[in-house]
Parts: sequence; C-alpha cells; structure tokens
Amino acid sequence: MDASKFVIIDKSTLIDTEPVRQSLTYWQDAWRRLKKHKPAIAGLIGVIFIILFGFAGPLLSSVSYSDQDVDFANLPPVLNLYQMDEDIYVFLTNDYKLIQVSRSGMVLEKYKRIEQDPVNKIYTYANAARDIEVVLDFSYNLLPGKMDSPYDYTLTYNNSVVTESTRRVLNKKYPFGSDIVGRNLLIRVMYGARISLTVAFVASLVNLFIGVFYGSISAYEGGRTDIIMMRIVDLLNSIPLILYVILIMVVFGNRGLWTMIIALGSVYWVVMARLVRGQVLSLKEQEFVLAARALGVSRNKIIRNHLIPNAIGPIIVSMTMMIPSAVFTESFISFIGLGVSAPMASWGTLANDALSGLLSYPYQLFFPSLAIAVTMLSFNMLGDGLRDALDPRLRKG
Amino acid sequence: MGRYFFRRFLYSLLTIWLIASVTFFMMHAIPGGPFTREKAIPDEILRVIEAKYNLDAPLYEQYFDYLKGLVTFDLGPSFQKVGTSVNDLIVAGFPNTAKVGFFAILAIIVIGVPVGIVSALKQNKPLDYIVMFGATLGVTIPSFVIATVYIYIFAGKLGWVPPFGLRNAVSYIGPMIALSGYSLSFVARLTRSSMLEILRADYIQTARANGLSEYSVIAKHAVKNAVIPVITYLGPTIAAIMTGSFVVERIFAIPGIGRYFVESVTNRDYTTIMAVTVLYATIYVFMVLLVDIAYALVDPRIRFEKEKA
Repeated sequence: MDASKFVIIDKSTLIDTEPVRQSLTYWQDAWRRLKKHKPAIAGLIGVIFIILFGFAGPLLSSVSYSDQDVDFANLPPVLNLYQMDEDIYVFLTNDYKLIQVSRSGMVLEKYKRIEQDPVNKIYTYANAARDIEVVLDFSYNLLPGKMDSPYDYTLTYNNSVVTESTRRVLNKKYPFGSDIVGRNLLIRVMYGARISLTVAFVASLVNLFIGVFYGSISAYEGGRTDIIMMRIVDLLNSIPLILYVILIMVVFGNRGLWTMIIALGSVYWVVMARLVRGQVLSLKEQEFVLAARALGVSRNKIIRNHLIPNAIGPIIVSMTMMIPSAVFTESFISFIGLGVSAPMASWGTLANDALSGLLSYPYQLFFPSLAIAVTMLSFNMLGDGLRDALDPRLRKG
Repeated sequence: MGRYFFRRFLYSLLTIWLIASVTFFMMHAIPGGPFTREKAIPDEILRVIEAKYNLDAPLYEQYFDYLKGLVTFDLGPSFQKVGTSVNDLIVAGFPNTAKVGFFAILAIIVIGVPVGIVSALKQNKPLDYIVMFGATLGVTIPSFVIATVYIYIFAGKLGWVPPFGLRNAVSYIGPMIALSGYSLSFVARLTRSSMLEILRADYIQTARANGLSEYSVIAKHAVKNAVIPVITYLGPTIAAIMTGSFVVERIFAIPGIGRYFVESVTNRDYTTIMAVTVLYATIYVFMVLLVDIAYALVDPRIRFEKEKA
C-alpha cells in the first residue's frame, strides 16, 4: 500500500473537538434551572420590588407615615374635579368639604365653610385669601320638589353654575389616597411593607434556627431522645397556634414589633423541625457520615458541616414558603387589633382601619390588600421555582 | 389494628390533658387577673369576688377543680359575662360556627378535589391554566379581604345578601367563600400535583396496558392514591374551620365561638379561654386520629405497617 495516501492528523485537534461539559457547582446548577423557570423569576422580581418599595420607598419622600392633615382626610386616589374657572378646579368630598386641586391633580387647599344653611342644604365656601367664593347647593334629589333632578349638586362661582364634574385626575399628593385622619396612604403602605416584611423575615429566621437545631439534634441522636423530642413537637403541633400567638402577645403586654416577632418565631418552628429531622434521618445513614465519624469528627461538627449543608435545599424552600405565611399570620393578628400600635401600621392594621369606612372609601382596603396579595404571590412563585431548582430528587441531567 | 387505634386514642387523651395543663398554667402566669380594672376595685370587694370564683384557692387546687370540671363537661362560670356558664356560651355559639364550617369543608372537598383532578388530567391545557391561576389567586388573598370585598359588592352595592348574620340560606354563601377560599385553592393545587405524580407511576401504565378503561384507571387506581396528601392536609384544616375563624365571624357578625378566642384572652376570662382551647385541641386531636384511620382505609401499605408495629 502507498504510504502517501495516508495523512497524519494532528492529535491535538481531535481532543479539542470532543465535547467537554462544563462542570457546575450546586448553586450554579440551581441558578441555571431557576432562570429557566419563568414564574420563579417573576416572583424574584416581585420580591425585590416589594423589598425596595418598603425599604427604599420612604427615603424618596419627605412625608412621614404619621404626618396627618385632617383637612385632606379620606381623599381618593382618583379625583373627579369641577372646573369653576379657567384654572380653578375643586373636588367635593362625600362629607361636603370643598378642596381646591390644581389641573394636574395636586391637592392645594381646603376651602373654609363660611356660611351654612342646613335646612335648604346650601353651603358657602371661601378660600383663605377670601377672593374665591363658591356656593354649593346639594338639595337636589334630597328635598321635596327637587327630586328627579339629573344631577345632585350645583356649584356656583361668579354667577356661573357648574353641575357636572368634567375632569378626572390622579391624586398627585396622595397617590394611594389618604386615610381617615389625612395620612398619606402610599407612605403608610410602604412603612407597612417594612413592618410586615421585617416581622416575616426575622420570625422565619428564628423559626429556621430553632427548627434546624431541634430537628437535627433529634434525628442525629435518635432512639429515646428522638422519640421524646418528636412527641413534644407533636404536642405543640396539636395546639391552636394562633391562640398561643395571641397569648404571647398578651403576656408581653406592649404591642411592638418585637412582641410580634417573638410570638411568631417561638411558635411556628415545629414545621421546620420536622422537615430537618426527616432530611437528617436519611442522610445520617450515608457513607460520608460514617467516614466522618470514623475520622473522629465531633457530633456538632458532623451536623454543622456535613448534614445541614446537604439538607440546605429543602430548608431554603421551606424558608421561602414560611415568609408569606408569616406575612399572612401577621396581617391576621393585626387585623383583629393585636398588631403593632398606632401610628405605626402593618398591612393588616391598615386593612382593619379601612373596615369602618369601607362603603365610602373602598380604596383604603384595596391598597394594603393588594400589597399582601403581591407579596404572597411573589414568594409563592419564587418558592415553587426554588423547589424545582434545589430539590435533588427532581434533578435530571 | 384495633389495638393500634386504642393506643392512639389513649395518646390523644394524653395530648388533650397536656394542652389543657399548659394553657392553664400559662394563663395564670400572665400578670393581671380577670378582675383587674383600670380603676382599681377596693380590696374587700376583690376578695369577695375572688372567693366566689374560687380564685383565692392555691393554684394546684384550682387546677384539680378545673380538671374535674373538664372530665364532667362542666366548664365553669364565665368571669366576664356574669350569670352565664361557659357551657352556655359554647352551646349557643358552636352550632353557628359548625354550620358555616360544615359548608366550607363541604366546598373544599366537593370542589377542590375534582377541580385538582381535572386540572391534572388537562395538564398544560387552557383549563389547567385557568384553574391554577384561580387557585394561586386563592392562596394569595387573605380571607378578611375576600370577606370585606364580598360584603362591599354583594351587600353594599348590589344588596343581594344581608350584610351580616345568618338569616337565610343566601347569607351562608359569603362566610363559606371566605372560610374555604384559601384551603379550597390549596387542596386543588395539592390534588393536582399529587395526581400528576401518580399518573407517571408504573402501576398506572400497567393498568392501562392491561386494557382497563381510562375511567377505571383514573377513578379506581389513580385518584385513590392521589388523595392521600389531601387527607393529611384536611385533618387540621377541618379542626381550624370547625372552631371558627374569628376574622370571618367578626366581619360577617356571626354569633359563633370564634370571637371568644380573642375576647377571652384580652379579658383574662380564664374559664372561657380554657374551654375554647380544649375544644379546639380535642377536635384537632381527633381529626388527626380520623386522618390516621382514613389513611389505613385508603392505603393498605400503611395498614400493613401498623399491624406489624
């Protein structure tokens, strides 16, 4: 055979073409799979947004959560304005307050009621400088002889009569409206986010530590220790926890942020303890634990360095699910009036405050509820994605 | 089998006793008693009142009296509602709570489970997406929001239902929706995910390979296993609903026992607190026991293990 028919191939090119898969660490792999899970990313963005909303939001505004202005109480987020003149717009509240608002929706000034005639239902208003006087007649559809009128009010200024509101603007000063004493609801919902999230995060962290500690000890020790420790957990689990949270709130007396954290943190750790115990029970029989034990590693170090890191996936998932349920519980307790005391407010307190004026001012309930729902939704979606990304049983290739 | 459940029953009684004791001592550890007022009551009067309710006795004596009462179903007089016994309060309130709770639980089982199954069978179809969207919404909105929005729309704006109380059949709808909303959505999600897992199992494939009709594969083989996690979840949920969500009862002004949860603790009404806690714990513990029995009935593997143990 002719040797010239053969060509010697450079060996290095061959090796290069072989597909080499980049090796990924556990976290890189988890992140890669989390990125593929679209709802989880939406949830992550939602969580970041809520955190920024609560913690950075109030910094952008000079208004405090406790600043109140009774003149501007119960103003809705959308204002229906009556145009009195070229550049004079007024807003009429449900309780017959007349407020001057700029064309763009900035709340300017409450007019003073200078004359009132409750019998004929005619009020006269004037601004502070007394150069504008407006007469309100709200007798339509109320007094006999004036029924079946197409409108309820007439506003008279400089002999021109306005019966219809002609302009709808967004409230610039109070984007979420104002509450019953004229506090800015946007700022209050932001501060509410701070309180609700702080309570939820810290309580979940406390739960995490107690649960991991308790569960891992119980599972690692096994035998009688395990039985007794788990019986205690069973017992705690069969107690109406919400009642104990209320009891603890009463024991501590003052209704501060920390009371709430202690109450939630000291009660809800049993779920985590069970989860960790289950994980550790299956892990501790594996060879790497036996190897560590044979090398003389102490119990605490085995738990800390070998068992818990291997169970971290389910622990993180459970933690992500714990935060929204803590937000939920916190809002419930606040809603029944045992939450943080005024003027501080969490979302539950805000919802409770809105209850009395619900039929007239439904927006006061809407925004705190929306905040709770967005938080719950974000954390739940993130948790679902994390479960898929971190749970080793679901890992395939 | 019988022995196992007898042992479980005894264990349940022990649990109830422990809960009753823990609550008793915790309640008495809180500073202030039921007759602590902002305006102090003169000492002599206070002493007479305390003697009347036996509050001046040593703690252990009160404790044994209380246990004796529990066993004989005599829960003592209410400290705050003078002249009524706690038994009266519970007898008056519990039927209302139970009625509403019963319908809520019915809704959870009758709607939640089938919806979850259908959603799993139509995985990644429009129906599945709609159901899951609704279920996700259901677990994100607190019951007090559902309740208030319901009242705002149907009682306030439309006037279709009475805004409070349980006057007619229509008035049950609101509390039912508010009470069951979260759990119903949760059960639908749970059923769906467990159904999806089961449908991939080998034995389902075997059943299909044996030529069983699709209906009998789903109804006889898949569903039975898919509801096991739902049963686990339902036990505590039934207990929680049966003893009343005080928030929902408060919003709809239902004269149930839910409100005593909060009222009695803040008023330091010892006997009522104890009664409510023990009632809840009893229902809870026996629900868990029922769940265990239901388990054994649904899953022969568990039955076998328990007979061995």
